[in-house]
Amino acid sequence: MDHAVIPDRRAAFKDAPEDLVERMSVGNAEADYILGGGFPENSINIIMGHPGSGKTIFAEQLIFHNASDQRPILYFTTLSEPLAKVVRYLQGFRFFDEMKLGTQVIYEDVGPQLAKDGAPALIPLLQNAIRTLSPKIIVIDSFKAVHDLAPSVAERRRMVYEMTALLTAYGTTAFLLGEYTEEDILLYPEFAVADGIVELSRRRLGNRDERYFRVYKLRGSRYLEGAHAFRITDSGLDIYPRLVSPRMPEGYEPASERISTGVQGLDEMLDGGLWRGTTTLLAGPSGAGKTTIGLQFALEGARQGEPSLYMNFQENPTQLMRTIRGLGVDLEQAQAQGLDLVYASPVELQIDSIIVDMFRRIQQRGVRRLVIDALGDLASAATDPQRLHDYLYALVQHFAVSTITSVLNFETAGNTISGNGLGMQNPMSYLSDNVLLLTVEGKERTRRMLRVLKTRGSAHDTRVREVEISAAGLCVLE
Amino acid sequence: MHEAHPDTRVILVAERDGTVRELQRYFLEAAGFAVEFADDGEAALERARALRPALVVTEILIPRLDGLALCRRLREDPRTAHVPVIVFSILAAAARAGEAGASAFLRKPLVESIFMAAVQELVAARPTEAMEEQWTTQ
Repeated sequence: MDHAVIPDRRAAFKDAPEDLVERMSVGNAEADYILGGGFPENSINIIMGHPGSGKTIFAEQLIFHNASDQRPILYFTTLSEPLAKVVRYLQGFRFFDEMKLGTQVIYEDVGPQLAKDGAPALIPLLQNAIRTLSPKIIVIDSFKAVHDLAPSVAERRRMVYEMTALLTAYGTTAFLLGEYTEEDILLYPEFAVADGIVELSRRRLGNRDERYFRVYKLRGSRYLEGAHAFRITDSGLDIYPRLVSPRMPEGYEPASERISTGVQGLDEMLDGGLWRGTTTLLAGPSGAGKTTIGLQFALEGARQGEPSLYMNFQENPTQLMRTIRGLGVDLEQAQAQGLDLVYASPVELQIDSIIVDMFRRIQQRGVRRLVIDALGDLASAATDPQRLHDYLYALVQHFAVSTITSVLNFETAGNTISGNGLGMQNPMSYLSDNVLLLTVEGKERTRRMLRVLKTRGSAHDTRVREVEISAAGLCVLE
Repeated sequence: MHEAHPDTRVILVAERDGTVRELQRYFLEAAGFAVEFADDGEAALERARALRPALVVTEILIPRLDGLALCRRLREDPRTAHVPVIVFSILAAAARAGEAGASAFLRKPLVESIFMAAVQELVAARPTEAMEEQWTTQ
């Protein structure tokens, strides 16, 4: 007799892929993307950052996203914040769901008990919670505050050891929040046992703040390194993953089609137009005609039925519309054909959010032509030159892979391409496939000149050519 | 004569992690089971033969005789061949547990609902005492 009476569970033996780590979404697509799909389930994670950095909001967004009927989520507050206060601020967020409070999401203020019995009292509190509630997620906010209640380093270490043993033995995902600094990573024992460490930071930049989300550690996972900008909105954290260079797809080949610039005479100078998927740097001083050429390029795209995006940081929408109408263009018609005009004030924004917004539009609309007017404004929205350089490099790579033809306007201080007062030496020219330089000359009469400094794969016109701006736009004179 | 009648309420657990043991004891006792622990595979095998528990739960990583070898030895012995075994391990070894004759494999960490559902299902499906008497005397 074999033991067939025992239910044959062999099917179950095949069910579990042996090395698959289940992921817990944080309720935020961009954060999940940075975390390689979310936090590993049944892990211990630290969310660190100064007061006001967004730790609690991040944790609350995560727990309300994961709240379900099956196993509740337990939120221990250790700072003696009355529930009423927690809920008051929580209600302002869109992810808050009153129906889940008290059943699927359980807040417990353990501050008084810890204050009375000391840090080791956390262990029986956790044991009891696991036995009675079987929580799927446990948040301890703030865990660092628990340390202050431990009289000795030895006691702290013992408490962390016991807590780790418990949280490892039981199937729950833990988030320890704390006002830790980078130096604390070497000092506090919880960092050694943590499976994941995420830092939220805030940096003052003039009269605005920049916030960053950074993953320090995520065991057994690939994640997107570096600082990712975020804002706090009523939806929680709005994160802008750092732009990284795309991997060139296998069999990637540059497009072999030329497209018209929409500027009379310029296509001939370029040996038949721009190669699709190339990036063109259009440099020149103020008033030389960069915006006009950029608009003509985008409008030509719309005329040909190609979705075209014009990212404008210079002129407000009214000014830009006036410029377009001045070219004799029916704006509504152009927009219906696929022209998307976007104005963003770089003063208000971080480069990360601008870029993320741009890529969303590119994806949503299937953009084929893009103009950025102007790069210098992006530079002022970036906090350091290296970050800007990395961004621009990645940007150009993305355009090449998606065969988006781009024109990047760049304002120079004079008639040469180097030096613009913004610390961008040799700006972009080595990243761009093509470089065009507009200059303004003449004493008695202003003469605008255009010169092709570089093209990739074209026998371009090497002469300096005069251009003229009229009601029909900018054209190259014979 | 048997050393003991198969005890339908005793669960034998081969586990060395104190925290896991505590959780197992708590949840199993709360469900009305008596729990006995063994520190290693040899001790577990000996206790299983004597006790003939309702269920054996074993980690793979235990000394002297690992959990998979324990599982095979339980299956080979007519006295314990019909005792259901849950291999409950930190290792992702579902296939190996199946090959060793385990009734179920659960990966750590412990989640009460999953662990107890497996325990209850296997205990309920366990052969009756009379059936076992018959098999062991054959």
